[in-house]
Amino acid sequence: MNVTARPQMGRDTSSESQIRRHRPDYWLVVIALFLVAIGLTVVYAISPALSATTGGSGVHFVSRQLVAIGLSIAVFLVTARVPIAAWRQWQKPLLILAALGTVVALVMPAPPQYPQHRWIQLGGFSLQSVEILKFALIVYLAGFLAKQAAAGKLANSQETLRPLGILLLVITFVVAGPAALHGQSDLGSFGVILAMAGATAVMVGLPMRRILSAALVLSLLIVFVVAISPYRRERVTSFLHPNCASSGGYQACQALIAVGSGGISGLGLGSSVQAYGYLPEAQNDSIFAIYAEKFGFIGVMVLLSLFMALFARLRLIIERTQDMFSRLIVVAVLAWLSTQMIINVGAMVGLLPLKGITLPLVSYGGTSVLFVGAALGLVFQISHYTSFSSRNVQKSGGQRIYDEDSDDRRRKRRAYHPDSSDRA
Amino acid sequence: MNQQPEGPAVNPVQRVRIWYALLLLIFGVFAVRVFFLQVIRYDYYKRAALNDQLKQYIVPAERGIITAHLGEGTVPVVLNQKLYTLYADPTIVKHADTAAQKLQHVIGGNVDDMTQLLKTERTRYVVLGKRLTPAQSNKVLALKLAGVGTIEQDYRSYPQGTMAAQLLGFVNNDGSGEYGVEQALNGQLAGHAGQLKAVTDINGVPLAASPGNLSIAPVAGDNVGLTIDVGMQAGLEKIVQNAYNNNKSKDVSAIIMDVHTGAVKAMANYPSFDPANYQDVNDPALFQNQSVTTPIEPGSITKVFTTATSLQKGVITPLTTFYDPGSWQIDGANVSDVEEDHSTGQQSILSTLDKSLNTGATWMLMQLGGGQVNMQGRNILYDYFSNHFRLGKATGIEQGYEPDGYVPKPEDNGAGINLTYANMSFGQAYSATALQMISGFSSILNGGTYYQPRLVDQYVHADGSATAVNPKVVETNVVSKQVSDNVISLLEQNNTNHIHEGFTYLNFGPNYNVGGKTGTAEIADPNGGYDPHKVNGTYMGFVGGDTPQYAIVVYNLEPTKYVGFAGAGTSQPVFGDIAHMLINDFGVTPKR
Repeated sequence: MNVTARPQMGRDTSSESQIRRHRPDYWLVVIALFLVAIGLTVVYAISPALSATTGGSGVHFVSRQLVAIGLSIAVFLVTARVPIAAWRQWQKPLLILAALGTVVALVMPAPPQYPQHRWIQLGGFSLQSVEILKFALIVYLAGFLAKQAAAGKLANSQETLRPLGILLLVITFVVAGPAALHGQSDLGSFGVILAMAGATAVMVGLPMRRILSAALVLSLLIVFVVAISPYRRERVTSFLHPNCASSGGYQACQALIAVGSGGISGLGLGSSVQAYGYLPEAQNDSIFAIYAEKFGFIGVMVLLSLFMALFARLRLIIERTQDMFSRLIVVAVLAWLSTQMIINVGAMVGLLPLKGITLPLVSYGGTSVLFVGAALGLVFQISHYTSFSSRNVQKSGGQRIYDEDSDDRRRKRRAYHPDSSDRA
Repeated sequence: MNQQPEGPAVNPVQRVRIWYALLLLIFGVFAVRVFFLQVIRYDYYKRAALNDQLKQYIVPAERGIITAHLGEGTVPVVLNQKLYTLYADPTIVKHADTAAQKLQHVIGGNVDDMTQLLKTERTRYVVLGKRLTPAQSNKVLALKLAGVGTIEQDYRSYPQGTMAAQLLGFVNNDGSGEYGVEQALNGQLAGHAGQLKAVTDINGVPLAASPGNLSIAPVAGDNVGLTIDVGMQAGLEKIVQNAYNNNKSKDVSAIIMDVHTGAVKAMANYPSFDPANYQDVNDPALFQNQSVTTPIEPGSITKVFTTATSLQKGVITPLTTFYDPGSWQIDGANVSDVEEDHSTGQQSILSTLDKSLNTGATWMLMQLGGGQVNMQGRNILYDYFSNHFRLGKATGIEQGYEPDGYVPKPEDNGAGINLTYANMSFGQAYSATALQMISGFSSILNGGTYYQPRLVDQYVHADGSATAVNPKVVETNVVSKQVSDNVISLLEQNNTNHIHEGFTYLNFGPNYNVGGKTGTAEIADPNGGYDPHKVNGTYMGFVGGDTPQYAIVVYNLEPTKYVGFAGAGTSQPVFGDIAHMLINDFGVTPKR
């Protein structure tokens, strides 16, 4: 959907209620399903390798991933139906629930394969608590900042920056904190949360000066955390000097070999060799490298383009959503997915240190798929209420201007609002 | 949300577009980077990948088995056994503690040691156990422990236990034969290894066919059929072991040879070792097949060769008599008899053998020179010992580590060569292995044909075809038929005399011809001269009916009993036991 500058028609649509429910953004769903299908295909294709190296059954990973995708779609259908206003009421209970989950996960024994990830065991299922936290934060950050913006308190340190700072500090301790206890922590997810906070802060219009000074403090903090943790220092060192023989650099090096040996068109769907035990976490964090080995440069371009298309949909919804709360939700979702994609792919192509984070929608891993599904459900719900051009949200807080052209009319017809252009 | 907020006016569209532009920029960076990795640096990463993934294997060929005769049939004496080596890749292993505990239940051993191995850093291969049975290997694999596997490996197994261990040798960890037949015939037994080049998983398991794969099938080694008779070998080993225990010797060896083919029927040494546990042997001397690997000065059994040479050259007849002065002065030294019956007077060839007169042997050497020990006599003795009886020369039998031995050259070396040759005529001053002695002796017994001694009857190739090994004639007419008959007759009479002297165990009745000669050999002292406290007892004889059938040589090294007459005291009874065994149990053809 091209958004080109068009002459403003000067209609006033200042009331939110004027945007009626219309056809949602199905492209969002289509692109997401494409990415999920790609992930499932790769997991299926490397199943023999996974069962050979882990000694498990051949269908173990695929069947588990299918169950996760099924649950994810179910959750999506629920969140896509819940009116967005309802989440305003739930933002605090949700955050408390996520906090409780995080605490429960902290005291639960960590799975030895992934000591940096915290899990909640629920019967046969296990949930990665940080994913719940990310989802809760989407709603909470949007709700809090939208409320402060509405109250005109964005520039107020006491009322806005301090609670936000305290929240981030608590999260820092909970997410990055286990380093003190277990030696390893989920800095990748912490980075995603920071990106969500930063993006919502920027998009709501928090004073840039404040944001920049907070960013400075945070980067110093991160350097400090990296410096005191030998495991993380090793990752940075191995990133700067890749070496297959060192335990720290092994995965990074094997990932590069997987990507590089894919060539232009890849080895083919069934022909990955690196999945046969060479590249750790082939189905999970390293799935991008395996995909690149299978489908080559062309396949990588397709995959990254799908991500960019997904992000473009989110961007478009952000541009066209008038309600601040809704818009910030989409902002947080975009921050989440894009940051996580960049961290994951960046590590696989040797541009960033390894972070142990999934490639959203593609990687094997139930919790991630489940909560990304829930978040996309929110966005899908919001996409019912977008206006028809970016023009009318150009000035936040200012007078909203209704913009109409033939394209909009066509769209309205589809959404069964044949006379909306004549309204107001 | 329609109240006017305070603060700076924010243009969210602009901001989200800047944001998206940043994402596009990162997308561009990724695209360039991936293009660099996958297109520009493709060759490098492809090589790096193959470096890791493409593994070249030598597919070992199955080693040939070794069989031996048992009566009319054959039985295996060396077989192959598939055992498994348990290994792990510590980088893949999870839960080293529990893995080690589970493995310990199957293979035993120490849990802590295994845990340590499983936690080894900077390696992808540790060996946790060797020689697992197929059942154990299956149990380990059933545990489905990530990063733990087993590799099949061939081991030799020995259905006859320790029997013929030194003759057989063993196969070392690298798959090469060491000592004995395994070393000498390593080429035939090993076959041709195959080659496999394949892209594999991290554990080295080849993946489905890929273009770089290469596969050359191995060709199994030949099966080797030995001339050895298992029954005879087992009996001989028992006799030899008893002799070792009775005489407290350093080593006792004996050989039984078919005089008409040169085939070794049994060859035993004691002490020996267990080839299945060769790695536990501390003294490598135990691996040596002493009959083949250890030349000694054989002593008076040499007089048989001196007699045969003199008969062949016509300087004596079986009935020749001569005057024995009790000692000869040669090169300023006194050559006299060391054995018991030492007197002057008229002696014969038979009494020379019976009483083992050194003076008699020296007298024969003098006859070869026309009356004195000289160049002519030395040349003849050297020619016969070295070129015809092939003493002091490696025989080429299918055994590892066979040396030559030593026969001094006849040319005057200015160091008392005549005395050296006088000593040689009765068995000192040269060295030969038991195998060289029995091979030369057989050529006298069978009428003058020297057969190369051998241990192998046939090779059965991988395709099932067999190549028979025929007796290999090295020389005919070593001695004439008449000389052969004369020597046989003299040794038979010698045996009869011994029976009359009281060695009644040498009585085999009227249906069998048995003959032999004792030897008590002095042992050269490494510091010069001879060690007065040590001797080797030797014996060389035969059993048969109308003609000799089996030649027998006994080497009894450094027995601590009967030192003065070790030949008669220690080796002759061994010969007696062997001859009785052959006649009683192995159907020596009686006289018609």
